Amino acid sequence: MRAGPIAVAAAALALVPTYPLAAQHFSIGPQVAFGDYRETTSDLHYRGGGVGAKASVVWKKFSADVWLSKVKYKPEGGTATTDFDASEVDVQLRYYISGPFSAELGFMNRKADPEFEAQSMGAVTAGAQMSHLLGPGVRMALDGGLMFGPKFSGGGSISALGAVRLGLGLTVDALHGRLRVTGDYEFQSVSRTTDDGSGSISAPIQQSLGRVGFAIAF
Amino acid sequence: MRRPTCLPVAVLLFLPVVLSAQTIQNATLRRAQQSFENLDYRQALSSAHASLRERLTGYERARAYELLGFTYSGMDSILKAVDAFKQVVLIEPERDLDPNRTSPKALSAFQVALTQILVIRQLRVDSVQFIGGEGNVPIRYTVTQPSRVVTRVSGGPLSSMRIDSTVANGQVNIRWPARLPSGDPVPPGNYNVVVEASVGQNTFSTSQSIRVSHGSVDTLPHLTSLPGYTYLPETEVPPKSWRPMGLALVYTGVALAGTSALSNGDLGSPSLREGTVIGLGIVAAGFVMTLKKPAPQPARGNILYNQLLREQIARRNTEIAQENTRRRQQVALSVVPLPRAGGGR
Repeated sequence: MRAGPIAVAAAALALVPTYPLAAQHFSIGPQVAFGDYRETTSDLHYRGGGVGAKASVVWKKFSADVWLSKVKYKPEGGTATTDFDASEVDVQLRYYISGPFSAELGFMNRKADPEFEAQSMGAVTAGAQMSHLLGPGVRMALDGGLMFGPKFSGGGSISALGAVRLGLGLTVDALHGRLRVTGDYEFQSVSRTTDDGSGSISAPIQQSLGRVGFAIAF
Repeated sequence: MRRPTCLPVAVLLFLPVVLSAQTIQNATLRRAQQSFENLDYRQALSSAHASLRERLTGYERARAYELLGFTYSGMDSILKAVDAFKQVVLIEPERDLDPNRTSPKALSAFQVALTQILVIRQLRVDSVQFIGGEGNVPIRYTVTQPSRVVTRVSGGPLSSMRIDSTVANGQVNIRWPARLPSGDPVPPGNYNVVVEASVGQNTFSTSQSIRVSHGSVDTLPHLTSLPGYTYLPETEVPPKSWRPMGLALVYTGVALAGTSALSNGDLGSPSLREGTVIGLGIVAAGFVMTLKKPAPQPARGNILYNQLLREQIARRNTEIAQENTRRRQQVALSVVPLPRAGGGR
Protein backbone atom coordinates (compact mmCIF):
# COMPACT_ATOMS: atom_id res chain seq x y z
CA MET A 1 0.00 0.00 0.00
CA ARG A 2 1.26 3.47 -0.83
CA ALA A 3 1.44 6.34 1.61
CA GLY A 4 -0.58 8.60 -0.63
CA PRO A 5 -4.14 7.53 0.24
CA ILE A 6 -3.49 7.63 3.99
CA ALA A 7 -2.05 11.11 3.82
CA VAL A 8 -4.88 12.31 1.61
CA ALA A 9 -7.45 10.82 3.95
CA ALA A 10 -5.77 12.35 6.99
CA ALA A 11 -5.63 15.73 5.30
CA ALA A 12 -9.24 15.45 4.19
CA LEU A 13 -10.37 14.60 7.71
CA ALA A 14 -8.39 17.49 9.11
CA LEU A 15 -10.02 19.88 6.67
CA VAL A 16 -13.63 18.85 7.30
CA PRO A 17 -15.66 22.06 7.60
CA THR A 18 -16.61 23.08 11.10
CA TYR A 19 -20.37 22.70 10.96
CA PRO A 20 -22.33 22.02 14.13
CA LEU A 21 -23.56 18.50 14.65
CA ALA A 22 -26.79 18.58 16.53
CA ALA A 23 -27.04 16.35 19.60
CA GLN A 24 -23.66 14.83 19.07
CA HIS A 25 -20.01 15.55 19.70
CA PHE A 26 -17.50 15.28 16.97
CA SER A 27 -13.77 15.84 17.00
CA ILE A 28 -11.00 15.38 14.53
CA GLY A 29 -7.31 16.14 14.49
CA PRO A 30 -3.78 15.04 13.60
CA GLN A 31 -1.54 12.80 15.65
CA VAL A 32 2.10 11.85 15.84
CA ALA A 33 2.57 8.10 15.82
CA PHE A 34 5.47 6.02 17.07
CA GLY A 35 5.66 2.29 17.25
CA ASP A 36 7.51 -0.94 17.73
CA TYR A 37 6.95 -3.87 15.34
CA ARG A 38 8.21 -7.43 15.67
CA GLU A 39 7.54 -10.42 13.51
CA THR A 40 8.38 -14.11 13.68
CA THR A 41 11.53 -13.80 15.80
CA SER A 42 13.20 -11.20 17.93
CA ASP A 43 15.58 -10.57 15.03
CA LEU A 44 12.84 -8.93 12.98
CA HIS A 45 12.48 -5.89 15.16
CA TYR A 46 11.51 -2.45 13.86
CA ARG A 47 10.90 0.90 15.42
CA GLY A 48 9.66 4.06 13.80
CA GLY A 49 7.53 7.12 13.75
CA GLY A 50 5.06 8.78 11.51
CA VAL A 51 1.86 10.73 11.29
CA GLY A 52 -1.76 9.94 11.80
CA ALA A 53 -5.17 11.32 12.46
CA LYS A 54 -8.00 10.54 14.76
CA ALA A 55 -11.70 11.24 14.46
CA SER A 56 -14.25 10.63 17.17
CA VAL A 57 -17.98 10.97 17.33
CA VAL A 58 -20.40 10.49 20.19
CA TRP A 59 -24.14 10.14 19.66
CA LYS A 60 -26.41 9.14 22.49
CA LYS A 61 -25.09 5.78 23.72
CA PHE A 62 -23.00 5.22 20.62
CA SER A 63 -19.50 6.39 19.97
CA ALA A 64 -16.88 5.69 17.37
CA ASP A 65 -13.16 6.28 16.97
CA VAL A 66 -11.29 6.10 13.69
CA TRP A 67 -7.50 6.15 13.56
CA LEU A 68 -5.39 6.49 10.48
CA SER A 69 -1.63 6.26 10.75
CA LYS A 70 1.42 5.81 8.66
CA VAL A 71 4.57 4.76 10.47
CA LYS A 72 7.93 4.38 8.84
CA TYR A 73 9.55 1.39 10.55
CA LYS A 74 13.28 1.00 10.55
CA PRO A 75 15.19 -2.11 11.57
CA GLU A 76 16.28 -2.09 15.20
CA GLY A 77 19.27 -4.45 15.18
CA GLY A 78 18.73 -8.08 14.26
CA THR A 79 18.69 -9.39 10.77
CA ALA A 80 16.29 -6.91 9.21
CA THR A 81 17.91 -4.49 6.84
CA THR A 82 15.10 -2.79 4.93
CA ASP A 83 12.72 -0.09 6.11
CA PHE A 84 9.03 -0.40 5.45
CA ASP A 85 5.98 1.80 5.87
CA ALA A 86 2.97 0.51 7.85
CA SER A 87 -0.29 2.22 6.94
CA GLU A 88 -3.00 1.33 9.40
CA VAL A 89 -6.69 1.98 9.77
CA ASP A 90 -8.40 1.23 13.06
CA VAL A 91 -12.11 1.64 13.54
CA GLN A 92 -13.87 1.06 16.86
CA LEU A 93 -17.62 1.38 17.33
CA ARG A 94 -18.86 1.40 20.90
CA TYR A 95 -22.15 1.09 22.68
CA TYR A 96 -22.38 2.28 26.24
CA ILE A 97 -23.64 -0.43 28.56
CA SER A 98 -23.45 0.70 32.15
CA GLY A 99 -21.14 2.38 34.61
CA PRO A 100 -17.74 2.73 32.95
CA PHE A 101 -18.32 -0.14 30.51
CA SER A 102 -18.96 -0.06 26.79
CA ALA A 103 -18.96 -2.83 24.23
CA GLU A 104 -16.66 -2.49 21.22
CA LEU A 105 -16.80 -3.77 17.69
CA GLY A 106 -14.52 -2.75 14.86
CA PHE A 107 -11.86 -3.68 12.44
CA MET A 108 -8.21 -3.00 11.70
CA ASN A 109 -6.21 -3.09 8.54
CA ARG A 110 -2.50 -2.63 8.22
CA LYS A 111 -0.58 -2.66 4.98
CA ALA A 112 3.17 -2.89 4.66
CA ASP A 113 5.08 -1.24 1.90
CA PRO A 114 7.22 -2.81 0.41
CA GLU A 115 4.74 -5.60 0.50
CA PHE A 116 7.12 -8.41 1.36
CA GLU A 117 9.09 -6.69 4.10
CA ALA A 118 6.34 -7.26 6.69
CA GLN A 119 2.94 -8.85 6.97
CA SER A 120 -0.07 -6.90 5.89
CA MET A 121 -3.12 -7.94 7.88
CA GLY A 122 -6.70 -7.19 8.55
CA ALA A 123 -9.10 -8.42 11.22
CA VAL A 124 -12.42 -7.78 12.90
CA THR A 125 -12.08 -6.71 16.49
CA ALA A 126 -14.47 -7.14 19.39
CA GLY A 127 -14.05 -6.33 23.03
CA ALA A 128 -14.92 -3.96 25.79
CA GLN A 129 -13.87 -0.58 26.99
CA MET A 130 -13.71 0.81 30.48
CA SER A 131 -13.68 4.57 30.73
CA HIS A 132 -13.33 6.96 33.65
CA LEU A 133 -13.55 10.68 34.05
CA LEU A 134 -10.47 11.75 35.98
CA GLY A 135 -11.66 15.31 36.31
CA PRO A 136 -13.39 18.05 34.36
CA GLY A 137 -12.66 17.33 30.70
CA VAL A 138 -10.10 14.62 31.39
CA ARG A 139 -11.10 11.12 30.40
CA MET A 140 -9.07 7.95 30.22
CA ALA A 141 -10.03 4.63 28.76
CA LEU A 142 -8.73 1.11 28.86
CA ASP A 143 -9.93 -1.31 26.26
CA GLY A 144 -9.15 -4.79 25.15
CA GLY A 145 -10.46 -7.50 22.94
CA LEU A 146 -9.87 -10.18 20.42
CA MET A 147 -9.16 -9.97 16.72
CA PHE A 148 -11.23 -12.37 14.71
CA GLY A 149 -10.66 -13.76 11.24
CA PRO A 150 -7.34 -12.17 10.56
CA LYS A 151 -6.03 -12.26 7.04
CA PHE A 152 -2.32 -12.05 6.36
CA SER A 153 -0.60 -11.17 3.12
CA GLY A 154 1.82 -14.03 3.72
CA GLY A 155 -0.83 -16.50 4.76
CA GLY A 156 -1.07 -18.22 8.06
CA SER A 157 -3.68 -18.74 10.69
CA ILE A 158 -4.29 -18.29 14.37
CA SER A 159 -6.11 -20.13 17.10
CA ALA A 160 -9.44 -18.86 18.41
CA LEU A 161 -7.82 -16.69 21.08
CA GLY A 162 -4.59 -16.18 19.19
CA ALA A 163 -4.94 -12.48 18.38
CA VAL A 164 -5.50 -9.96 21.12
CA ARG A 165 -5.35 -6.24 21.37
CA LEU A 166 -5.07 -3.88 24.27
CA GLY A 167 -5.55 -0.12 24.30
CA LEU A 168 -5.08 2.80 26.60
CA GLY A 169 -6.37 6.26 25.80
CA LEU A 170 -6.47 9.75 27.21
CA THR A 171 -8.35 12.86 26.13
CA VAL A 172 -7.92 16.24 27.78
CA ASP A 173 -10.29 19.04 26.88
CA ALA A 174 -8.83 22.50 26.54
CA LEU A 175 -10.14 25.88 25.44
CA HIS A 176 -13.57 25.14 26.89
CA GLY A 177 -13.78 21.86 25.06
CA ARG A 178 -13.00 23.26 21.64
CA LEU A 179 -9.57 21.68 21.60
CA ARG A 180 -8.81 18.18 22.75
CA VAL A 181 -5.38 16.70 23.46
CA THR A 182 -5.36 13.01 22.62
CA GLY A 183 -3.03 10.17 23.49
CA ASP A 184 -3.61 6.56 22.50
CA TYR A 185 -1.69 3.40 22.98
CA GLU A 186 -2.48 0.16 21.19
CA PHE A 187 -0.82 -3.17 21.56
CA GLN A 188 -1.51 -6.03 19.15
CA SER A 189 -0.24 -9.54 19.60
CA VAL A 190 -1.02 -12.15 16.98
CA SER A 191 0.10 -15.74 17.54
CA ARG A 192 0.24 -16.63 13.90
CA THR A 193 1.34 -19.97 12.59
CA THR A 194 2.27 -20.90 9.08
CA ASP A 195 2.63 -24.24 7.37
CA ASP A 196 4.87 -24.56 4.31
CA GLY A 197 4.29 -28.28 4.09
CA SER A 198 6.94 -29.21 6.60
CA GLY A 199 4.72 -28.62 9.58
CA SER A 200 3.30 -25.79 11.57
CA ILE A 201 5.72 -22.96 12.25
CA SER A 202 5.15 -20.16 14.73
CA ALA A 203 5.33 -16.76 13.09
CA PRO A 204 3.94 -14.29 15.64
CA ILE A 205 3.35 -10.61 14.92
CA GLN A 206 3.42 -7.94 17.59
CA GLN A 207 3.02 -4.20 17.40
CA SER A 208 3.02 -1.47 20.01
CA LEU A 209 1.73 1.81 18.67
CA GLY A 210 1.58 5.12 20.46
CA ARG A 211 -0.27 8.15 19.11
CA VAL A 212 -0.24 11.65 20.52
CA GLY A 213 -2.00 14.60 19.00
CA PHE A 214 -4.80 17.07 19.30
CA ALA A 215 -8.26 17.38 17.88
CA ILE A 216 -10.72 20.14 17.25
CA ALA A 217 -14.08 19.44 18.79
CA PHE A 218 -17.36 20.55 17.26
CA MET B 1 -100.79 57.11 92.44
CA ARG B 2 -98.13 55.82 94.76
CA ARG B 3 -95.10 57.93 95.11
CA PRO B 4 -91.87 56.07 94.52
CA THR B 5 -89.74 55.40 97.56
CA CYS B 6 -86.34 55.67 95.96
CA LEU B 7 -86.74 58.93 94.20
CA PRO B 8 -83.08 59.98 94.10
CA VAL B 9 -82.18 56.70 92.44
CA ALA B 10 -84.97 57.06 89.92
CA VAL B 11 -83.85 60.53 89.01
CA LEU B 12 -80.32 59.29 88.46
CA LEU B 13 -81.57 56.47 86.26
CA PHE B 14 -83.76 58.77 84.17
CA LEU B 15 -81.14 61.51 83.94
CA PRO B 16 -79.69 60.35 80.60
CA VAL B 17 -83.11 60.57 79.05
CA VAL B 18 -83.54 64.06 80.34
CA LEU B 19 -80.10 65.07 79.15
CA SER B 20 -80.86 63.73 75.72
CA ALA B 21 -83.69 66.22 75.41
CA GLN B 22 -81.41 69.18 75.18
CA THR B 23 -82.45 69.99 71.65
CA ILE B 24 -86.12 70.16 72.55
CA GLN B 25 -87.54 73.56 71.61
CA ASN B 26 -91.10 73.23 72.81
CA ALA B 27 -91.50 75.14 76.07
CA THR B 28 -94.26 72.96 77.48
CA LEU B 29 -92.24 69.82 76.91
CA ARG B 30 -89.25 71.44 78.51
CA ARG B 31 -91.36 72.31 81.50
CA ALA B 32 -92.45 68.72 81.70
CA GLN B 33 -88.87 67.59 81.69
CA GLN B 34 -88.00 70.10 84.36
CA SER B 35 -90.85 68.82 86.50
CA PHE B 36 -89.68 65.24 85.97
CA GLU B 37 -86.19 66.18 87.05
CA ASN B 38 -87.67 67.83 90.10
CA LEU B 39 -89.56 64.61 90.80
CA ASP B 40 -92.83 66.44 90.38
CA TYR B 41 -94.42 63.62 88.46
CA ARG B 42 -97.91 65.02 88.57
CA GLN B 43 -96.78 68.25 86.97
CA ALA B 44 -94.59 66.30 84.57
CA LEU B 45 -97.56 64.26 83.41
CA SER B 46 -99.73 67.32 83.05
CA SER B 47 -97.11 69.23 81.06
CA ALA B 48 -96.25 66.24 78.88
CA HIS B 49 -99.87 65.64 77.96
CA ALA B 50 -100.27 69.37 77.30
CA SER B 51 -97.24 69.38 75.02
CA LEU B 52 -98.69 66.53 72.97
CA ARG B 53 -101.63 68.75 72.13
CA GLU B 54 -99.22 71.29 70.71
CA ARG B 55 -97.30 71.29 67.45
CA LEU B 56 -94.23 69.08 67.99
CA THR B 57 -91.57 67.65 65.79
CA GLY B 58 -91.38 63.90 65.52
CA TYR B 59 -88.37 63.87 67.78
CA GLU B 60 -90.15 66.04 70.39
CA ARG B 61 -93.26 63.89 70.18
CA ALA B 62 -91.19 60.77 70.80
CA ARG B 63 -89.46 62.47 73.74
CA ALA B 64 -92.85 63.51 75.17
CA TYR B 65 -94.13 59.93 75.08
CA GLU B 66 -90.85 58.66 76.43
CA LEU B 67 -91.12 61.12 79.30
CA LEU B 68 -94.63 59.86 79.94
CA GLY B 69 -93.35 56.28 79.90
CA PHE B 70 -90.63 57.01 82.40
CA THR B 71 -92.99 58.99 84.61
CA TYR B 72 -95.67 56.31 84.59
CA SER B 73 -92.99 53.70 85.28
CA GLY B 74 -91.80 55.76 88.20
CA MET B 75 -95.36 55.99 89.42
CA ASP B 76 -95.84 52.20 88.94
CA SER B 77 -98.54 52.77 86.31
CA ILE B 78 -97.12 50.07 84.10
CA LEU B 79 -100.01 49.80 81.63
CA LYS B 80 -99.88 53.50 80.93
CA ALA B 81 -96.12 53.35 80.71
CA VAL B 82 -96.42 50.54 78.17
CA ASP B 83 -98.89 52.57 76.12
CA ALA B 84 -96.54 55.53 76.17
CA PHE B 85 -93.55 53.42 75.13
CA LYS B 86 -95.60 51.87 72.31
CA GLN B 87 -96.06 55.37 70.93
CA VAL B 88 -92.33 55.94 71.23
CA VAL B 89 -91.55 52.79 69.26
CA LEU B 90 -94.11 53.57 66.60
CA ILE B 91 -92.52 56.99 66.09
CA GLU B 92 -88.93 55.76 66.41
CA PRO B 93 -88.82 52.02 65.79
CA GLU B 94 -85.06 51.95 66.29
CA ARG B 95 -85.29 53.52 69.72
CA ASP B 96 -83.61 51.49 72.45
CA LEU B 97 -83.12 52.15 76.12
CA ASP B 98 -79.74 51.79 77.69
CA PRO B 99 -80.17 48.92 80.18
CA ASN B 100 -77.33 50.28 82.31
CA ARG B 101 -78.88 53.67 82.75
CA THR B 102 -82.59 52.90 82.77
CA SER B 103 -84.70 51.67 85.67
CA PRO B 104 -85.80 48.05 85.46
CA LYS B 105 -89.44 49.11 85.60
CA ALA B 106 -89.08 51.35 82.58
CA LEU B 107 -87.06 48.69 80.74
CA SER B 108 -89.71 46.09 81.49
CA ALA B 109 -92.47 48.38 80.30
CA PHE B 110 -90.48 49.14 77.15
CA GLN B 111 -89.98 45.44 76.41
CA VAL B 112 -93.68 44.76 76.93
CA ALA B 113 -94.48 47.63 74.58
CA LEU B 114 -92.23 46.09 71.92
CA THR B 115 -94.09 42.79 72.06
CA GLN B 116 -97.46 44.47 71.69
CA ILE B 117 -96.81 46.27 68.44
CA LEU B 118 -95.50 45.06 65.10
CA VAL B 119 -92.31 46.77 64.07
CA ILE B 120 -89.16 45.78 62.32
CA ARG B 121 -86.12 47.09 64.02
CA GLN B 122 -82.40 47.11 63.47
CA LEU B 123 -82.49 46.32 59.77
CA ARG B 124 -78.81 46.02 58.90
CA VAL B 125 -77.09 45.30 55.61
CA ASP B 126 -73.38 44.64 56.06
CA SER B 127 -70.77 46.07 53.76
CA VAL B 128 -69.40 43.20 51.78
CA GLN B 129 -67.32 42.49 48.73
CA PHE B 130 -67.32 39.16 46.93
CA ILE B 131 -67.14 37.53 43.55
CA GLY B 132 -70.51 37.30 41.88
CA GLY B 133 -72.02 33.90 42.50
CA GLU B 134 -69.57 33.02 45.23
CA GLY B 135 -70.79 35.09 48.15
CA ASN B 136 -73.79 36.59 49.88
CA VAL B 137 -74.92 39.88 51.32
CA PRO B 138 -75.74 39.45 55.02
CA ILE B 139 -79.06 41.08 55.98
CA ARG B 140 -80.50 40.96 59.48
CA TYR B 141 -83.40 42.54 61.30
CA THR B 142 -85.58 42.05 64.34
CA VAL B 143 -89.31 41.65 64.13
CA THR B 144 -91.16 42.25 67.37
CA GLN B 145 -94.15 40.00 66.81
CA PRO B 146 -94.63 36.66 65.06
CA SER B 147 -95.54 37.70 61.54
CA ARG B 148 -95.09 36.99 57.87
CA VAL B 149 -92.00 38.91 56.81
CA VAL B 150 -91.20 39.49 53.18
CA THR B 151 -87.85 40.92 52.14
CA ARG B 152 -87.55 42.54 48.74
CA VAL B 153 -84.95 44.43 46.81
CA SER B 154 -86.15 47.25 44.65
CA GLY B 155 -84.73 50.15 42.72
CA GLY B 156 -82.03 50.39 40.10
CA PRO B 157 -82.87 48.43 37.00
CA LEU B 158 -84.98 46.05 39.11
CA SER B 159 -88.65 46.70 39.67
CA SER B 160 -88.90 44.53 42.73
CA MET B 161 -87.36 41.20 43.53
CA ARG B 162 -88.40 39.11 46.48
CA ILE B 163 -85.41 37.59 48.17
CA ASP B 164 -86.98 36.06 51.27
CA SER B 165 -90.35 35.31 52.80
CA THR B 166 -90.71 33.78 56.22
CA VAL B 167 -92.78 33.68 59.36
CA ALA B 168 -90.52 34.99 62.02
CA ASN B 169 -90.26 36.52 65.44
CA GLY B 170 -87.15 38.05 66.91
CA GLN B 171 -83.89 38.36 65.07
CA VAL B 172 -83.79 37.12 61.50
CA ASN B 173 -80.64 36.61 59.42
CA ILE B 174 -80.87 36.16 55.71
CA ARG B 175 -78.21 35.93 53.02
CA TRP B 176 -78.80 37.46 49.63
CA PRO B 177 -76.58 36.20 46.80
CA ALA B 178 -77.14 39.45 44.86
CA ARG B 179 -78.07 37.54 41.73
CA LEU B 180 -80.89 37.96 39.27
CA PRO B 181 -83.27 35.09 38.60
CA SER B 182 -81.17 34.39 35.50
CA GLY B 183 -78.15 33.84 37.71
CA ASP B 184 -76.34 36.98 36.62
CA PRO B 185 -75.07 39.37 39.26
CA VAL B 186 -77.39 42.32 39.93
CA PRO B 187 -76.39 45.34 37.85
CA PRO B 188 -74.59 48.19 39.59
CA GLY B 189 -76.78 50.88 41.10
CA ASN B 190 -78.64 52.01 44.20
CA TYR B 191 -81.23 49.63 45.63
CA ASN B 192 -83.56 49.48 48.56
CA VAL B 193 -83.79 46.44 50.79
CA VAL B 194 -87.41 46.56 51.92
CA VAL B 195 -88.63 44.39 54.77
CA GLU B 196 -92.40 44.15 55.20
CA ALA B 197 -94.03 42.41 58.11
CA SER B 198 -97.72 41.67 58.35
CA VAL B 199 -99.92 39.97 60.89
CA GLY B 200 -103.67 40.31 60.49
CA GLN B 201 -104.47 43.91 59.72
CA ASN B 202 -101.17 45.14 61.09
CA THR B 203 -98.35 45.79 58.72
CA PHE B 204 -95.01 47.40 59.06
CA SER B 205 -92.23 47.99 56.61
CA THR B 206 -88.80 49.44 56.75
CA SER B 207 -86.04 49.78 54.24
CA GLN B 208 -82.31 50.22 53.90
CA SER B 209 -80.66 51.74 50.87
CA ILE B 210 -77.61 50.02 49.47
CA ARG B 211 -75.24 50.70 46.64
CA VAL B 212 -74.09 47.83 44.45
CA SER B 213 -71.00 48.42 42.38
CA HIS B 214 -69.10 46.17 40.03
CA GLY B 215 -65.37 45.70 39.76
CA SER B 216 -62.98 43.36 38.08
CA VAL B 217 -61.80 40.33 39.96
CA ASP B 218 -58.15 40.32 40.82
CA THR B 219 -56.16 37.75 38.90
CA LEU B 220 -53.45 35.70 40.50
CA PRO B 221 -49.79 36.18 39.57
CA HIS B 222 -47.93 33.19 38.20
CA LEU B 223 -45.52 31.51 40.53
CA THR B 224 -41.80 31.38 40.05
CA SER B 225 -41.25 29.60 43.32
CA LEU B 226 -43.22 27.98 46.06
CA PRO B 227 -43.10 29.80 49.40
CA GLY B 228 -40.78 27.98 51.73
CA TYR B 229 -39.25 25.87 49.00
CA THR B 230 -36.08 26.81 47.15
CA TYR B 231 -34.22 25.04 44.40
CA LEU B 232 -31.23 23.02 45.53
CA PRO B 233 -27.93 22.94 43.62
CA GLU B 234 -28.05 20.12 41.10
CA THR B 235 -24.36 19.47 41.34
CA GLU B 236 -22.14 19.14 44.34
CA VAL B 237 -18.38 19.20 44.57
CA PRO B 238 -17.13 15.99 46.13
CA PRO B 239 -14.29 16.19 48.62
CA LYS B 240 -10.79 16.15 47.20
CA SER B 241 -9.40 12.63 46.87
CA TRP B 242 -6.57 10.62 45.40
CA ARG B 243 -9.01 8.65 43.30
CA PRO B 244 -7.97 10.21 39.92
CA MET B 245 -4.30 9.44 40.62
CA GLY B 246 -5.17 5.95 41.78
CA LEU B 247 -7.31 5.26 38.74
CA ALA B 248 -4.61 6.57 36.42
CA LEU B 249 -2.01 4.30 38.03
CA VAL B 250 -4.36 1.31 37.86
CA TYR B 251 -5.21 1.89 34.19
CA THR B 252 -1.59 2.43 33.26
CA GLY B 253 -0.46 -0.55 35.29
CA VAL B 254 -3.08 -2.79 33.73
CA ALA B 255 -2.08 -1.66 30.23
CA LEU B 256 1.63 -2.21 30.81
CA ALA B 257 1.11 -5.47 32.66
CA GLY B 258 -1.23 -6.61 29.91
CA THR B 259 1.35 -5.76 27.32
CA SER B 260 3.96 -7.83 29.11
CA ALA B 261 1.58 -10.70 29.70
CA LEU B 262 0.22 -10.84 26.19
CA SER B 263 3.51 -10.41 24.36
CA ASN B 264 4.91 -13.41 22.61
CA GLY B 265 8.06 -14.81 24.20
CA ASP B 266 9.57 -15.69 20.81
CA LEU B 267 9.75 -11.97 19.98
CA GLY B 268 11.90 -11.01 22.93
CA SER B 269 11.05 -8.64 25.70
CA PRO B 270 8.09 -6.47 24.79
CA SER B 271 8.45 -2.79 24.04
CA LEU B 272 6.90 -0.75 26.83
CA ARG B 273 8.06 2.55 25.40
CA GLU B 274 4.78 3.43 23.70
CA GLY B 275 2.61 2.34 26.61
CA THR B 276 4.82 4.14 29.08
CA VAL B 277 4.61 7.42 27.18
CA ILE B 278 0.83 7.34 27.11
CA GLY B 279 0.69 5.93 30.66
CA LEU B 280 2.86 8.74 31.97
CA GLY B 281 0.52 11.20 30.36
CA ILE B 282 -2.41 9.56 32.10
CA VAL B 283 -0.63 9.47 35.46
CA ALA B 284 0.31 13.12 35.07
CA ALA B 285 -3.29 13.97 34.25
CA GLY B 286 -4.45 11.95 37.25
CA PHE B 287 -1.97 13.75 39.48
CA VAL B 288 -3.13 17.15 38.27
CA MET B 289 -6.76 16.16 38.71
CA THR B 290 -6.00 15.00 42.23
CA LEU B 291 -4.58 18.41 43.06
CA LYS B 292 -7.37 20.27 41.29
CA LYS B 293 -10.73 20.98 42.76
CA PRO B 294 -12.89 17.98 41.89
CA ALA B 295 -15.47 18.35 39.18
CA PRO B 296 -19.01 18.97 40.40
CA GLN B 297 -20.99 15.78 40.38
CA PRO B 298 -24.73 15.59 39.74
CA ALA B 299 -26.62 15.45 43.01
CA ARG B 300 -29.34 12.95 42.18
CA GLY B 301 -31.47 13.70 45.21
CA ASN B 302 -31.37 17.42 44.54
CA ILE B 303 -32.12 16.89 40.85
CA LEU B 304 -35.20 14.84 41.70
CA TYR B 305 -36.25 17.39 44.30
CA ASN B 306 -35.89 20.25 41.82
CA GLN B 307 -37.78 18.26 39.22
CA LEU B 308 -40.63 17.73 41.66
CA LEU B 309 -40.55 21.40 42.58
CA ARG B 310 -40.65 22.44 38.93
CA GLU B 311 -43.54 20.08 38.28
CA GLN B 312 -45.42 21.45 41.28
CA ILE B 313 -44.89 25.04 40.15
CA ALA B 314 -45.89 24.19 36.58
CA ARG B 315 -49.02 22.39 37.83
CA ARG B 316 -49.90 25.30 40.11
CA ASN B 317 -49.33 27.80 37.29
CA THR B 318 -51.61 25.78 35.06
CA GLU B 319 -54.26 25.94 37.76
CA ILE B 320 -53.64 29.66 38.18
CA ALA B 321 -53.99 30.22 34.44
CA GLN B 322 -57.31 28.36 34.46
CA GLU B 323 -58.41 30.25 37.55
CA ASN B 324 -57.44 33.58 35.95
CA THR B 325 -59.36 32.71 32.79
CA ARG B 326 -62.38 32.05 34.98
CA ARG B 327 -61.84 35.19 37.04
CA ARG B 328 -61.65 37.40 33.96
CA GLN B 329 -65.21 36.33 33.21
CA GLN B 330 -66.38 37.15 36.74
CA VAL B 331 -67.52 40.33 38.47
CA ALA B 332 -66.49 41.54 41.89
CA LEU B 333 -69.62 42.80 43.64
CA SER B 334 -69.32 45.47 46.29
CA VAL B 335 -72.34 46.18 48.45
CA VAL B 336 -72.34 49.20 50.73
CA PRO B 337 -75.27 50.37 52.89
CA LEU B 338 -76.22 54.00 52.41
CA PRO B 339 -77.22 56.33 55.26
CA ARG B 340 -80.85 55.82 56.26
CA ALA B 341 -83.36 58.40 55.18
CA GLY B 342 -86.02 57.55 57.74
CA GLY B 343 -87.68 54.88 59.82
CA GLY B 344 -90.46 52.48 59.05
CA ARG B 345 -94.17 52.94 59.16
